[in-house]
Amino acid sequence: MTVINIPSWLKKMRYTPTFCIIILGIFVYAAIFPKTISPYSPDIRFSPYGEPDENHILGTDDMGYDILTLLIYATRISLIIGVFAGILSLCIGTSIGIASGFHQGWVDDLMMGVTDIILIIPKIPVTILIAAYLHPSIWILIIVLGLFSWETTARVVRAKTMQIRNSGFVLSSRCLGFSSFSIIIHDIIPVIYPVLLPKFMLTIASAMISEASLSFLGLSDPMMESWGKMIADAFDHGGFIREMWWWFLPPAICMCVTVLAITRIGMIYESNEPEMVFE
Amino acid sequence: MRKSQHKMCTLLFLILSIVSVCCSMGVMADDAILRIATTNEVKSPAFIGDYTLGLFNHLSNPPLMQMDENGKLIGLLADHYEVSPDNTEWTFVIKDNQFWSDGTPVTADDVAFSIQMYGTSIPNAGWIGETLTDTQVDGNKVTFKFNKPYTNLALEFTSYSILPKHIWESIENPNEFTSTGPYVGAGPYYLDNVDLNAGKVIFKRNPSWKGKISDYDTVEISWFKNEDAAAKALESGIMDTYWKYASSYPYAAIDSLRKTGNFEMLEKPTSGLTFLGFNLKREPMSDPAFREAVSSAINYQELVDISTLGYGLVPNRGFVPPAMDGYIQTKPMEYNLETAKKTLDSAGYKDSDGNGIIEAADGKDITLDLLIRNSYAREAELIKEYLEKAGIGVEVRTVEDNTWFEMKDKLDYDITLTRTTPWGMLMHAGWATGYFDSRRTGQGVLHTVDDEVFLKLCDDILSTTDQTLLKEYAKEVQEYYAENLPGIPLYWKNDITPYNKKITGWYSNPLYGIMNEFTFTGVKSSA
Amino acid sequence: MVKIHPAGIFLSRKLLRYLLSFFCILLIVFLLPRMMPGDPVSNLVGEDIYLSQSTIDSLRAAFGLDTPLHEQFIRYCLQIMHGDLGYSYHMHGPVFEILISRAWWTLLYTIPSIIIGAWIGISLGARAGFQSGKWWSDVIASIALVISSTPPYLLSLLALVLFVYHLGLFPFKGFYDTYNLQSILYHLTLPTLVLISFYASRNILIMRGAVLTEKELLYPQFARSLGIPEREILFHHIRKNAIIPLIVLIALDFGFLFSGALFIEIVFSLSGMGSLMYDAILARDYPILTGSLLIIAIFVIIANITADIMSLIIDPRIRRSS
Repeated sequence: MTVINIPSWLKKMRYTPTFCIIILGIFVYAAIFPKTISPYSPDIRFSPYGEPDENHILGTDDMGYDILTLLIYATRISLIIGVFAGILSLCIGTSIGIASGFHQGWVDDLMMGVTDIILIIPKIPVTILIAAYLHPSIWILIIVLGLFSWETTARVVRAKTMQIRNSGFVLSSRCLGFSSFSIIIHDIIPVIYPVLLPKFMLTIASAMISEASLSFLGLSDPMMESWGKMIADAFDHGGFIREMWWWFLPPAICMCVTVLAITRIGMIYESNEPEMVFE
Repeated sequence: MRKSQHKMCTLLFLILSIVSVCCSMGVMADDAILRIATTNEVKSPAFIGDYTLGLFNHLSNPPLMQMDENGKLIGLLADHYEVSPDNTEWTFVIKDNQFWSDGTPVTADDVAFSIQMYGTSIPNAGWIGETLTDTQVDGNKVTFKFNKPYTNLALEFTSYSILPKHIWESIENPNEFTSTGPYVGAGPYYLDNVDLNAGKVIFKRNPSWKGKISDYDTVEISWFKNEDAAAKALESGIMDTYWKYASSYPYAAIDSLRKTGNFEMLEKPTSGLTFLGFNLKREPMSDPAFREAVSSAINYQELVDISTLGYGLVPNRGFVPPAMDGYIQTKPMEYNLETAKKTLDSAGYKDSDGNGIIEAADGKDITLDLLIRNSYAREAELIKEYLEKAGIGVEVRTVEDNTWFEMKDKLDYDITLTRTTPWGMLMHAGWATGYFDSRRTGQGVLHTVDDEVFLKLCDDILSTTDQTLLKEYAKEVQEYYAENLPGIPLYWKNDITPYNKKITGWYSNPLYGIMNEFTFTGVKSSA
Repeated sequence: MVKIHPAGIFLSRKLLRYLLSFFCILLIVFLLPRMMPGDPVSNLVGEDIYLSQSTIDSLRAAFGLDTPLHEQFIRYCLQIMHGDLGYSYHMHGPVFEILISRAWWTLLYTIPSIIIGAWIGISLGARAGFQSGKWWSDVIASIALVISSTPPYLLSLLALVLFVYHLGLFPFKGFYDTYNLQSILYHLTLPTLVLISFYASRNILIMRGAVLTEKELLYPQFARSLGIPEREILFHHIRKNAIIPLIVLIALDFGFLFSGALFIEIVFSLSGMGSLMYDAILARDYPILTGSLLIIAIFVIIANITADIMSLIIDPRIRRSS
């Protein structure tokens, strides 16, 4: 097996958790204090469809807003949506998955029955329904997104739980009389955790993407600027036709980078040792 | 095991690439096909039942009347018409020398049959069923008798395609009848194939057509599910023009289309416009002074710049654009923030608690509920900003189209943004009265005005076909709009139709743009 | 004999659960469209058409909307039992036929995408996970993550602009231009490739994560210590365990074939199930909506059953624990 020599400084720089924490930190900072790094105020309009130049690094959109400004101010909403919907989804999914996989029997059937039903309820009509009766706000969006993405997590967790439920260490805990609750916390969760993490990342990514998709279909709150909304706007208002990649690529890149950063931080539980024990 | 998997993988990919390269070779054999791109989708192959197909089939089944490029009504299948003095009897004289694509001649019987069929079997044309009492055929003349006077009939008859009686009389439920074609038609082309999977409708030259012909044997109308794909397809040259009912080619795409150097733009002012509607049943919208103040708070020039990218102009208070017959000059809408504030103040709306929002008589902050469909989000953002600068609070509520229809019919909003179409402007008593008359509800109309003066004006218009009288009424309608502002026009615009430079002979009318018989008998290719 | 028994009880209990779910789902797919605001009749005609009240009333009667809700539901259940999914006035045809004709096309490009995406995901993901120290493992994981964190319509649009407009390699729309195999393949290649990239990237990530965990357990080390020579054999052991969570997801992919296809169909102008359902939602076409949701529900339930059975087969621990 050949080992490709990547210079160690490059390895260190590219994809370490520390680097990612710094990146995330920048995003969080932009979310909390957008005014300090944004070149303009978000309500000033310039001439529309401007190409990138020294005044507007990312040009202007169809209404004349500076795109870099929009990008920075959109950080807050995108992060809140992604992370909170992800957490909500993770909590619900994990609890249901563990309860179902661990207790089995009728609890399992009930939980999975509920999961099936939620799984089948289509997102779009429900969003339309909710938008008609409740004024769309970011928290309603988060709840909707969170409530509709936990099913796969639940199933995956359940599958894994059922796998290890009867393994040696869990059996011994049960023999010794530990309560189910502490078995779950101490034995099952640590094993599930590494499978949960990629799922969590994917859920955050999918929450941001779902929000972008809802914006694309015109079903999210158009008054709420997020990265997904920026991409949808670019699409609706000629950004693609005019091939203004500086309008729709930066928000997409931001979404990607955020997810990459969160993932890398989550991957700290992965062993980095190359599989070279027996060469 | 892994090695063979790799082999399979690469093999599969190779096959795919070869196939696609092969296919891309023999694609563009351009033999006299006129290609039109649209975003109006045909959803089902129902000749009459499908809304979009009903628009396209004017090409193969010409209606009795059409509009010329100036909006004047002229004959299409019919040569001319006569009306009885009380406007209840209409006689249409059918042109000679017209033949269905199966060789049989077009007769007045076909016309009589078609209109009667519309009345009895088609929900869209239910009004015909309710008011048509008698149909008489005499040679090449058809006379329709109605139970009440109709002044608009000739206009209505620009939208009903005439069908061959000998084909359609045996069809039991014409509205639900589906077939991918071919359909017998009497126009310069007949509808040969409706292909939903390929996303296009194919018209072929009518072998029995006796009139002028274009250079093209085939006309293909292709629909795209998103505007960007349509625009890019046009730019790449595989489409010759773009048409969308009552809409312009997206303004944002015009520049990049121009850059290709292959297209010319046909620019025509249209009577379709976007406006802000008031719920006149609620306060403070019912207060004319309030509406007046709102009208002064809007920056019309900026709206024109952003929404039409320069292909429009600031509207006048009379609402009706110059593109419409009967237009009179009224004062232009004016943006003056100071005036707006002063008007609000003198009308009794003051901001006593200094929070930047004025209060109503009951002391509560005035925050208007602005209900919109998603496509108006940009304008809504701007309106909100303008009104808030004048001290009027605005909450934007965005709902999806069908929800909007329900809520606006229930008058569950304070203000709303919506649009008129050229057809809608002509409906009811014309000059946008169809949108405001409270007695007439329907898809896109607001039906908010129940002022006696206005309603009587509408009734007067509906009871006469005297042109001079109608011009006088048109003036009164526009003056009414200018004074009362039931709706504030946001901008007037021009519709742009792009077309392949190498093709000449395009003709555009205010109703259906380039989709008219003049175009399809006159287009010539200089390629 | 002893082995089959628990599995038998297991499956019959599952069946009961699925039947109950199905009934709840039937209720939901019936109620949900009717709870949405807006009216199917008003969307039957265009924006400019005026319908008189009597026309509206007779149309509502034709749609069956003038009877109370529970009566409509009972009528619908009876219809279903005869295999009749109803008639759509918006699409002018029986629901069942419309669904079949659209579903057929959507299945044509989604099923290969899922299968190929699964295959790529499992093989690449497993290798990436197994040799996670290598640079290419990170590269693959990053590419997969980038694709997974991009909105699907953005990726499809970029593919459209790049490969169709700029490079002219593929057509702009439709399932074909003329009805022959060549044209169909030509038109479906790009949407399929885009869809494959979505499925593959998600599968790569999950498989990689799962394999990484398995690697740390004792049995691979033990197997190694036994001198079991080829990595491939190790591969089979690890892969079997790691694949369980993925089986569930892939089964669900089959269940959600149609909804996942929506953006592809909008971008590439394909008249398949995804856009049929979307149009039905916007137009409040209850029969089509209820019918398609029902079909999806059935697909998902079958997918779940399959996933459960496959988990049983692959992993004896699950068999034992029930």
